[in-house]
Amino acid sequence: MTIRLTVNGETREFAAAPMTPLVDVLRDGLHLTGAKPVCREGFCGACMVLVDAVPTVACLTPVALVEGRDIETVEGLTSGESPTPVQAALEEHDAVQCGMCFPGMVVALTHLTTSGTCEPNRAAVKEALVGNVCRCTGYERIVDAALAVMEAGHE
Amino acid sequence: MSETAEKAVQDFRRRDARDKLLGRTRYTIDRGAAGMLHAALLRSDVPSGRIARLDVSAAARMPGVRAVVTHEDAPGRAGLGIADHPLFATDVVRYCGEPIAAVAAESEAEARAALAAITVDIEPLPAVLDMGASLAEDAPLVHPGWQGYEVLTQGGARGGNVAWEASVDRGDVDAAFARSDVTVVESSFRVGRQNHLSLEPRAVVANYEDGRYHIETSTQVPWTVRNTTATLLGVPASAIRVTVPPVGGGFGLKFDCALEPFAALLARKSGRTVRLVNSREEEMLTCLFRENAEIRIRSAVAPDGSIAGREAVVLMDCGAYGGEQVFLTTMTAHTLGGNYRLGAVRIVSRAVYTNTAPNGAFRACNGVYNTFALERHTDEIAAAIGMAPEAFRFKNVIGDGDLGATGQVFEGDVLAPMLEKMAALRAKDPSPQLTDGRLSGRATTVGTWFVFTGPSAATVNMNADGSATLVTSGVEIGSGSMMQALPQIVAATLGLTPDKVVVRAADTDAAGYDVGVGGGRTTVSLGAASRTAAIEVRTKLLKVASDMLEAAAEDLVIADGRIEIAGAKGSGATIAEVASHGQMRFGPLSGTGSFAAAGTPAMAGCCAGHFIEALDIPVFAVHDCDVAVDPLTGHVEVLAYRVVQDVGRALNPSAIFGQIQGGVVQGLGYALHEEADVGPDGHIRQKSFETYRVPLAGDVVPVAIELHEGAPSIGPLGTKGAGEVPILNVGATVACAVANATGKTVSELPLTPPRVLALLIDEAQAPVFPHIRDRHADNLTAPGR
Amino acid sequence: MRPETPPEILLPATLGEALASLGERAAAPLAGGTWVMRAPLRREPFAPAYVGLSRIPELSLVEVTDDAIAIGAAVTHADLANALAGFPEFAGLRLAAGSSANPAVRSAATVGGNLCTADFAAADLVPALLCLDATVELAGPAGSRLIPLADFLAQRTGLLPGHILTKVVVARTGQRTAHARLPLRKAGDYPVAIVSVAMRVDAMERIGAARIAVGSVEATARRWTGLEDALLGEPLDGARTTGIAGSLLASFNGRDGVEAPGWYRVRVLPALAGRAVASLVAA
Repeated sequence: MTIRLTVNGETREFAAAPMTPLVDVLRDGLHLTGAKPVCREGFCGACMVLVDAVPTVACLTPVALVEGRDIETVEGLTSGESPTPVQAALEEHDAVQCGMCFPGMVVALTHLTTSGTCEPNRAAVKEALVGNVCRCTGYERIVDAALAVMEAGHE
Repeated sequence: MSETAEKAVQDFRRRDARDKLLGRTRYTIDRGAAGMLHAALLRSDVPSGRIARLDVSAAARMPGVRAVVTHEDAPGRAGLGIADHPLFATDVVRYCGEPIAAVAAESEAEARAALAAITVDIEPLPAVLDMGASLAEDAPLVHPGWQGYEVLTQGGARGGNVAWEASVDRGDVDAAFARSDVTVVESSFRVGRQNHLSLEPRAVVANYEDGRYHIETSTQVPWTVRNTTATLLGVPASAIRVTVPPVGGGFGLKFDCALEPFAALLARKSGRTVRLVNSREEEMLTCLFRENAEIRIRSAVAPDGSIAGREAVVLMDCGAYGGEQVFLTTMTAHTLGGNYRLGAVRIVSRAVYTNTAPNGAFRACNGVYNTFALERHTDEIAAAIGMAPEAFRFKNVIGDGDLGATGQVFEGDVLAPMLEKMAALRAKDPSPQLTDGRLSGRATTVGTWFVFTGPSAATVNMNADGSATLVTSGVEIGSGSMMQALPQIVAATLGLTPDKVVVRAADTDAAGYDVGVGGGRTTVSLGAASRTAAIEVRTKLLKVASDMLEAAAEDLVIADGRIEIAGAKGSGATIAEVASHGQMRFGPLSGTGSFAAAGTPAMAGCCAGHFIEALDIPVFAVHDCDVAVDPLTGHVEVLAYRVVQDVGRALNPSAIFGQIQGGVVQGLGYALHEEADVGPDGHIRQKSFETYRVPLAGDVVPVAIELHEGAPSIGPLGTKGAGEVPILNVGATVACAVANATGKTVSELPLTPPRVLALLIDEAQAPVFPHIRDRHADNLTAPGR
Repeated sequence: MRPETPPEILLPATLGEALASLGERAAAPLAGGTWVMRAPLRREPFAPAYVGLSRIPELSLVEVTDDAIAIGAAVTHADLANALAGFPEFAGLRLAAGSSANPAVRSAATVGGNLCTADFAAADLVPALLCLDATVELAGPAGSRLIPLADFLAQRTGLLPGHILTKVVVARTGQRTAHARLPLRKAGDYPVAIVSVAMRVDAMERIGAARIAVGSVEATARRWTGLEDALLGEPLDGARTTGIAGSLLASFNGRDGVEAPGWYRVRVLPALAGRAVASLVAA
């Protein structure tokens, strides 16, 4: 079927089987390889994108269900090469290792630090991140970076 | 090199962070190209059977299929120590998940549809799914033809289902145990498997052009991939080129050749680019797990608390093929036999074949569970002789001039001062009091690990623009050593800032041989080779500058991007000017370096079957933690975790802290959550992220860290590997703390809530190993039996 | 493995169209997709077609009146947790909706999906709604009817073909409610056992009528009537509840799973019951 999506602000139309996971459409069809298909069961968060500004696991999202909706991937969060506050804080906190989890982590943290849904404390940030697996870093620097962004936002 | 030069390069930030955060980094799984074929593997669904019929002709005629390959296309066998492993199952299958055929098609769906059209009839054979079954009398042999395999490394005893056996025998152990004044303590331990769960699965893109294979792959070991692929395919190694994009996590999973030969074969047969990526389920079922192991350890302890004698049997499940476990039998002498002074010692470590998915390397391989066993055993000894565990450790840890298990003489007092540092670290932030009904416990443990030295090569090209290009076969797997330590070392040597040092991604056509990235060796081995190469370049630069400035080379100082006459700032020229002048006058300036293991000696005649008899660079660790145990559910919460780590010299403390936090958390997974085991059907039971539980953000604590600098090291600038060892004694520390909290004998990992609750209600079954014989000698394979 | 013909997804705008499509195409309803999309991992075939519920407005509503709360089947866990924020009497249901799985899954997975997926034993909402004595509305070719949740759970595989669960209705009775779930990690995985409670408490803080439901322990959630009876007249005390519950486990037959053995799921129930009751004291 023909699917029409708004991806990173641009309307795109293409043919895809309706049950195709959104992550495969983004990667194979639109060459947006930021989102990573890692577990394909909604537990790791590496494929996370924003659908109408809500963090969504793109592996469990049939593309037909997001027809006409607004998709933002990690590639769309920035214009050019300037990092967002979340990306800058993660870089500043020396949080990155292998990097595979970060596209999803950045999407989750972007929502967490801008939506007002998360209290600016360690426990709340950790609870909000339980759907984003990182196998390298042990998380604490990611939490530090998130809190730094939230504190800066409150100043 | 001066302190100033080192300061100038310290804490260099990794240059790959930005693109990783922007989602722009292209890992192997992200590399697609027009016209690329997609491959899939047909894998065995049974653990043991004879292939009665294999017919791929129908599959080859399926829509979109461009190539099908089987064992007929890959005649070789490879392995570590013994060449026991063919690429495809040939006459028999030996584990669930073993590849039988591979297909390349225009789409992944077409490739998978073609797999379903392959006719394969397998007649089931009896399977041995655990080491008890494998070592039972009259057990079926996983490799009935083991005696015919090519032996690649001499010296290991082998026989039946014992793939390899390494043993140590130093001093008179029988006499020590026969003493009338010793207390004998015996403990048994069992651990399960651990899955690396690197977020990027094993993945490869292969081409065949102009008579050579180009393999682009997610690996830690480009040269192993090159050489093993050649062996399996029966082609010259020079026909294979391996390049490596950024690797999305390794942890040892990618320390072996994996999917590459399949993709290479299919690329050659189809004449097209072929992509092969394991599904997550394939990764779950066939990852080269940290092996499950069974351990019995006995000690004879003198009244003064010294260890008069020790004997141990360690069984390591290698799965259906020997692989890394053959090599890892070596490590038992240094890990289970480490930490403490021993009067006399004998240890046997056996890699045992079973009809299960092959195991492999995983961060601090072998050391993690042997340290668990040793430290729990140590606490049992202390309790048995009525000594405080801290006092017992302080008295017995290896110090300057002490002998290790293999008779190696250790240099420097390292562990004892580290124990003192830990006491101070703990005093800063003492154990919290619990008021919620949970049981609290604390423990301190020690651990001995090493740097896996071995050959490395490096070339440094000095460019006329004042930048330097470092060419090695190193791979960036996430630890940052290729992005930080190596440019730091080269920059410090050449008086440059690290951002002026370009590091070439691994390409076996461009750089010389390297053992691979793992074993904490990148900073040390590749670093030493890089430093040697940079020193050669520096010497040449100074010679050119000496001509330009009309000053003796020994009067010149190289720093801050300039070469100056000592004491006369502004007198000289920029490095770019000197390099440019040199290039015009003599041709481009470059240097090469290489490194190999130092070959530290063990005591003659006390080891058999060891690949490494003594440690060139020992690395020590002291860990401490506080836990709370819920008596009603068995949940263990780690409340505080502390690490004192021997790093030799810290070139990049921020990077090291990151490795310690990450390594400890991976260790907490091993200690508490991560369980992988084999079901009665021979399949690994944990097939997904749902059931294989790694630590999540809510399960971790910030680790309190103190680095111990100054211990002897042959590493460049006195460094040691810092990324591997942080996981070493996490299982041990948590287990000892849980034992202290509960008053129960902790003999197994992971300490999942069901396992801890079973301990608390006295329903846990202590490990019993009838296949570990009472008499030590009965656990040894007579050579040639 | 992917099927040879990928299934279609129909996206009707009305319930009537949706029911008609179910009948014509042997289709199955599709809400958030978090369970259906994992069919390949379970080695299950997809249905020939799916009827998406996301464009039927009434299915995504939470309607609160003085007497009851009606939750549309396509309401997500996250939306339900938000909708219940001002209603302390639904603290248990809110916690169930707000702590299941992980945040991204909660913003996709729906109430209807949670109740209709018979093979998902660890569903959080099922025991939370069971202890509230919820009623479900089932729409089919012959119209709609209300069924007590307990009856629905017992018969759902037979009832569901050709039907759509449209909403769940819970009476507002001013009880105190709590939801105690036990994941193996701190959070982020499915609970291995759940105890949900709804109780009346008298002025002396003694337990009056109680409904207690147990989830994830057996294949389907059910009431723990033995404990309900035993707690009658008891003080609201967590530790005491744990003690009483300890001798009332004989009727449970825990399911063995890769993540936890059956005995463990049963053995932790007294602790969970105690936690649930203790949280009512705090309330």
